[in-house]
Amino acid sequence: MTEPTVPTPGKRHGPRYGLRALAALWLGKCAATMLRFLGREGTHVPGRIALRVYPNLLGVIARPDTVIVVTGTNGKTTTTNLLADALHTLGKRVSTNRAGSNLRDGIVATLINGVTMWGRCRSDVAVLEMDERSALRVLPQLAPDIVVCTNLTRDSIKRNAHPEYIAWILSSAISPETTLVLNSDDLITASLGSDANARHFFGVDPTGNESREPSGSAVDAAICPRCDERLNWVFWRFNHIGRVRCPACDFRSPVADVRVSPIDRASGLRSLTINSETVDIRLANESVVNVYNVAAVAATLDVLNVAPQTIGLVVDSLTPPTSRFAEEAVGGVRLVRLLTKGLVGVAVSRAFEQIVSVPGRKIVLLAIDETTDRFDGVENTAWTYDADYEYLADPSISAIYVGGIRRHDQALRLALAGVDSNRIVLVESETRGADLVPLGEVDVVFNLHSNHNAGPTGDAVHRKLRQRLMEMNS
Amino acid sequence: MTLTIEMLFPEIANLHGDNANIEYLARCLPDARVVRTGLNETPAFVSGIVDLVYLGPLTESGQIRAIARLAPHKSRIDELIRTGTHFLFTHNAMECLGSRIVNAEMKYDIPGVGIFDFSTEVRMFERYTGKVMGSFEGTSQPVVGYKSQFSMVSSSPETPGFMETTRGIGRNPTTHVEGVRRENFVGTSLIGPVLLMNPHLTEWLLSSLVPSRKPQLALSDFAVAAYDARLREFQDTKTWSSFERVSG
Repeated sequence: MTEPTVPTPGKRHGPRYGLRALAALWLGKCAATMLRFLGREGTHVPGRIALRVYPNLLGVIARPDTVIVVTGTNGKTTTTNLLADALHTLGKRVSTNRAGSNLRDGIVATLINGVTMWGRCRSDVAVLEMDERSALRVLPQLAPDIVVCTNLTRDSIKRNAHPEYIAWILSSAISPETTLVLNSDDLITASLGSDANARHFFGVDPTGNESREPSGSAVDAAICPRCDERLNWVFWRFNHIGRVRCPACDFRSPVADVRVSPIDRASGLRSLTINSETVDIRLANESVVNVYNVAAVAATLDVLNVAPQTIGLVVDSLTPPTSRFAEEAVGGVRLVRLLTKGLVGVAVSRAFEQIVSVPGRKIVLLAIDETTDRFDGVENTAWTYDADYEYLADPSISAIYVGGIRRHDQALRLALAGVDSNRIVLVESETRGADLVPLGEVDVVFNLHSNHNAGPTGDAVHRKLRQRLMEMNS
Repeated sequence: MTLTIEMLFPEIANLHGDNANIEYLARCLPDARVVRTGLNETPAFVSGIVDLVYLGPLTESGQIRAIARLAPHKSRIDELIRTGTHFLFTHNAMECLGSRIVNAEMKYDIPGVGIFDFSTEVRMFERYTGKVMGSFEGTSQPVVGYKSQFSMVSSSPETPGFMETTRGIGRNPTTHVEGVRRENFVGTSLIGPVLLMNPHLTEWLLSSLVPSRKPQLALSDFAVAAYDARLREFQDTKTWSSFERVSG
C-alpha cells in the first residue's frame, strides 16, 4: 500500500473575491440573517447556499491570521469550545462553529459569519470543529495553520469503518505545511501527516493503576508499524490509548511535549508540564477524556507561543460541558443519567466503565439502541460486540433492565459478556423499566439512553424514577 | 477429544466485533482449545492438527499483511480444505484467499493467496451497508446478517457460494451468490457476528465439527429470541431499501 496522497501545499492567498464569490457571500449572509430572525442559530444552510453559488468559496473567503481545525473521534466538540474560550480569555476575537455543523457547509457558514459584507475578516483566529470524514472536502482549500486531533478510535461501522481508514483520509488531506497537535497516547493519531509536518504531542501521564495488558474488545494499534511485532504496553488505558514500545526494535510512542499528571488527591491539583516547565492546574471535570481534551488545548496554546504560566491560568478557568452526565439524589438514592451513544462501542465502553467505578449497589436501565439508523439506512448491531459489556458483569450491579426493539440482541450480548441471566430483565418498552426497578434495594440507578431517545426515553425514565422515589419518601 | 480452534492474527483481524464468533463457539464447546496465532508466528495449521481455522475482519493494510503471511502456506491451505478441515473467514478475510485485491484510491493491486478464483475491488469512498437474508444448505432456517464494506467480490460463477440471498446482495450487487463454500470452508462477508446472529448456523457448524455429539448451543434462549425477532423484521418487505436489491 502506498502512502496517502498529500495534496499540493495549500498556501493560502489573501481574499480574492470575484463577483460570483461576493454574490455567494451576500446570499449566505442573507440566509443567516433570515434564519436568525426565525430563531435558528448555527445552521449549515448559509454555507450550503453560498457553496451552491460559488463552490470554491472556502478557498477564497478571507480568513483570520490563524486558523485552527479540531478533529478526532471523541472530544472534538469539547476541545473546540475549550480552545475558543481560552483564546477569547486571552483577548482574541474568535470565530468558531460552536453551535453549528462541523461539515464543510457549517465551516463555510462560520467563515461567512466571520467576515463583513465586503468580505473583510473580523476575527483574529478561527477555531473550527471538523468532522473527520470531511477532511478531503475542507482541508485542501482551507489550509489551516494547525490541525488538532484528539484521538481516532472506533466509531460508527457504517460511516467510519475503522480508525486506520479515518487516519488515511486525514493524512491524505493535510498539507505538509500544517502544524499538527496530536495525542501521543494514541498511536493511530500520532501517525497522522507526513515527516514534513511539524508535530506537537500531548499526553496524560499514568496514575500507576493502569494495566499493562489491553483487555477491551477494540484494540486497533497492537502491532509495531515498523516490524509487525506485537507491542508491549508501558501502560494501557482503554481501546488503543496508552503508551507502547516494541520488544523487537526501537519503536516507541512519541514523547509528549505537553503532559498532564495524575491528580494529587490531597490538593486536588494536577501538574501541567509544557516542554520542561511545570504549572499547577485544577480541572472542573476530572474524567480522563476531559483531561485529554485539556491537554490538547494546552498543547495548541503552546504552539501559539502562549507562555506556560498563562496557559496554566487559562486552563484553570475553563469549564467543560457536562451534558452527557447528570445526577441528582432523591431520598438517598442517586439517579444518574448517562448519554451513551449507541453505534459507537468506544463511547459505550466508557459509560459502562463509569458505572462500575461508582460505589454502591446499582441497577442499570439500558435503552441505547440507535434505531434511527433503520429509517435512513440500515441498522447494524455489530457495534455491540465492539463495546465492553463485560464491565456490566460486575457483582455490584444487581439488575439490568433492557428495553426497546433490540432488547433481545442486547440481552444476548450481556449474557456473552458474563452477566448472570437472572440479572437481565427484558422489557418491551424503553421506559417501562422505570416502573419496575426495585428502588428500595439500591444506592444508584443508572439511566442510559442514546442521542435520539434522550427526550422520549431519557427524560421520561428520569421523571418516573424521581416521582417513585419522592412517593417512597413522602 | 479436544478440538483445536485457531484464530489467525487476532491483533489485526479483530474489527466489527467479529471475534465474538470464536468467543461464542468456545462457549458452545467448553472443552475446545483456542490457539491465537500472532502475525509473526507460524500458523498452527501448518504442521499440526487444527479443527477450525478462523480469520476475522481486517483493515486494508491488515489484508496485505495477512496475505503475506498466508501465501507461503497456499498448498497446505489447499490440502486442508480438500481434506475437510473447517475454516471460517468473515467479512473481508475471505478476500485474502482470492486471486487479487485492487484498491485504486490507496494505489495498490496485489495478488491474493490464490486459493479461489474471485478477485476483489476495494473502493474507499463507496462503502456499502445493507442487510442480507438467504438460504444455506446446512440449515432449514434462513441466514441473516449485515454487510458494511468497501469491497465487492467478483461474481466468479465457478466458485461455489456460501449462501443464496433471498433479500440483499451477494458477492456484489449483481448476484445473489454470497460468500464462498468449498468442503468445510465457509467464507462470508457478513458481519454481526454471524454465529451469534444465526444460532441455527452455529448448530450446523457444531454438528459438523463434532458429528458424534448433539450440538449444545450456549445461551440458546437469548440467541434464538434475538434471531426470531430479527427474522420477523427481515421478512417484512418494508424494511428493505432499493439499494439492498440485486440488480441485473
